[in-house]
Amino acid sequence: MTGSQPMRWATTAELTIATPEGVLFRLPLAGPASRLYAMLLDIAIVLGTVNGIGLLIYWIFAKAPGFGVMVITLAEFAIGFAYGALLEGFWNGQTIGKRLFHLRVIDQSGLTLRIEQAWVRNLMRVFDALPFAYLVGGLSVLSNPLMQRFGDRVAGTLVIRQSPLVAPGEEFWTHQKYNSFMDYPTVAMKLRRAATPELASLIQDALRRRNELASYARREIYRELAAYLQTEISPFPDELVEMLSDEQYLINAAGVLFGDQRLSRLHG
Amino acid sequence: MILDLERFQTQAGPRWSNLESLLVAIEGRPDRRLNPVEAEQLQELYAQAAVDLNRVTHGALAPELRQYLERLVARAYTELHYVPPTRSELWQPRRWLRIFTLFPETFRRQSRYFALSMLITLLGCALGGLAVRYDPAAVDVLLPANYLRNPAQRVHEEEQAKNQDRHSTQAEAAFSAQLIRHNVEVAMLAAALGVTFGIGTALLLFENGVLLGAVAVRYTQQGFGLFMSAWLLPHGVFEIPSILIAGQAGFYLARVLLRRREDRDVRQSMREWLVLIAGTAMMLAWAGVMEAFFSQHHEPVLPYWFKVAFGGAELALLTVYLVLIGRRKTDAEADNRVPAETK
Repeated sequence: MTGSQPMRWATTAELTIATPEGVLFRLPLAGPASRLYAMLLDIAIVLGTVNGIGLLIYWIFAKAPGFGVMVITLAEFAIGFAYGALLEGFWNGQTIGKRLFHLRVIDQSGLTLRIEQAWVRNLMRVFDALPFAYLVGGLSVLSNPLMQRFGDRVAGTLVIRQSPLVAPGEEFWTHQKYNSFMDYPTVAMKLRRAATPELASLIQDALRRRNELASYARREIYRELAAYLQTEISPFPDELVEMLSDEQYLINAAGVLFGDQRLSRLHG
Repeated sequence: MILDLERFQTQAGPRWSNLESLLVAIEGRPDRRLNPVEAEQLQELYAQAAVDLNRVTHGALAPELRQYLERLVARAYTELHYVPPTRSELWQPRRWLRIFTLFPETFRRQSRYFALSMLITLLGCALGGLAVRYDPAAVDVLLPANYLRNPAQRVHEEEQAKNQDRHSTQAEAAFSAQLIRHNVEVAMLAAALGVTFGIGTALLLFENGVLLGAVAVRYTQQGFGLFMSAWLLPHGVFEIPSILIAGQAGFYLARVLLRRREDRDVRQSMREWLVLIAGTAMMLAWAGVMEAFFSQHHEPVLPYWFKVAFGGAELALLTVYLVLIGRRKTDAEADNRVPAETK
């Protein structure tokens, strides 16, 4: 392994890691809302556990309630800190709340969290929780490009989103029997070259979410996207475009952008 | 270059599946260790996936595929470059017992921050003591609690056992847990406030010192010095040094943060900080037990001279522990164990 440190830089929503081998990959950072939900769930779990243990202890120490109070007070305190530190340290950087909300704590160089880091970020909660309701920690998250609370800054950790991913399937628009845009290879080539990844994602999302959109919103979005592609990116002949609905226009454009390789083969 | 995504995915798909299966197998193991064959296989599949990612990033508009490959490469990168501690280490009693020698060793290595803690606390003590001595109006400000303002009344109540209800074993157990919890929280805050570059830690120690100095002078002024010593020493000889050590951890953290760009051995630095906090918590647990079960008993139940002598003996033992335990070993390993930030 190389001894050099990976480089990293953050945009507003993701961290880019450049490994010593020259590999570049991005990690999506977790926002404050999802972290808050995960924390509330973890608090509920800790309180539930403590209360459960408390009932058991009161039953065991029924004739010596003072000792029961002593055990519960100390158990509540210890579980509060150890829950996060031990689970994150030995369970892939996740507590139960984080796992359910698809979050994970990692080292800020993209590596797995170490047990020392897990303890440090959890003990630092006494500062992040000041003066109430994690105000200091929340402000730190909002003001930091890596979205770190002070505990994360000290421990050198950050929280990322880790929703389950599967290799993308083949979409219906990439396997149409016929795509009229392919009859105009020069214009189609121009579309492939000029479209940015963001624009391509936008078209993909708009088509995917067809059934989630209200009909008037769908009409309007498809009209605007098609008009933008036609006027600003790659003008297909008017006689072709007039025969297509806006939706079919976008389906054809997506077919050109995502995977129908007859275009490449034509030019191969 | 425009990538033929369909062909690319067909060709590379099996490699990605293999890598994913291997990662699932490794991540599912308790110790997550690799055997040599797996390490070689992982290295190869990682390198291929990294090349594939590079091709997708620069040669195709395929955001989902890129995202998938980024995730795969990130997971493989993690497993290749880092071996986490094993879960089995958690259950090794000898590892846990090491804290009893690690704590004094760390305390001595970072003793200059302890000296700073003590200096600030003593300054606070001096200010609090002088204020109460020369400015009677300061008493109400510095000593808000009635039992601190009126030593005579407090001593009378304690000696007449008016707080007898607090002296049952049951109540003392509950009281001791509350004390331990509160004191550990305060100590952890002092250590965590190092993140304010030590300013918060210094203010907390100074405030603590002012209160301590004001109480000591107030009780001594009114002729209750012996009562106060007997009242505070049995638990105070652990409680006060532990807050000072928490301050030491806070100043140490401040120093680590200030020098973080130079000192990249963050793991070792943070371990020192954790050891100091763990040691502080152990001391406060003892202090809490002593405060609840011993300090609150006064004459005629317990003679004051006995309580003072007991406190003195505790202090002597604590000093021996902090100054001598692990010293021979530390000397022998000095070259290897001095952390980067003290070099």
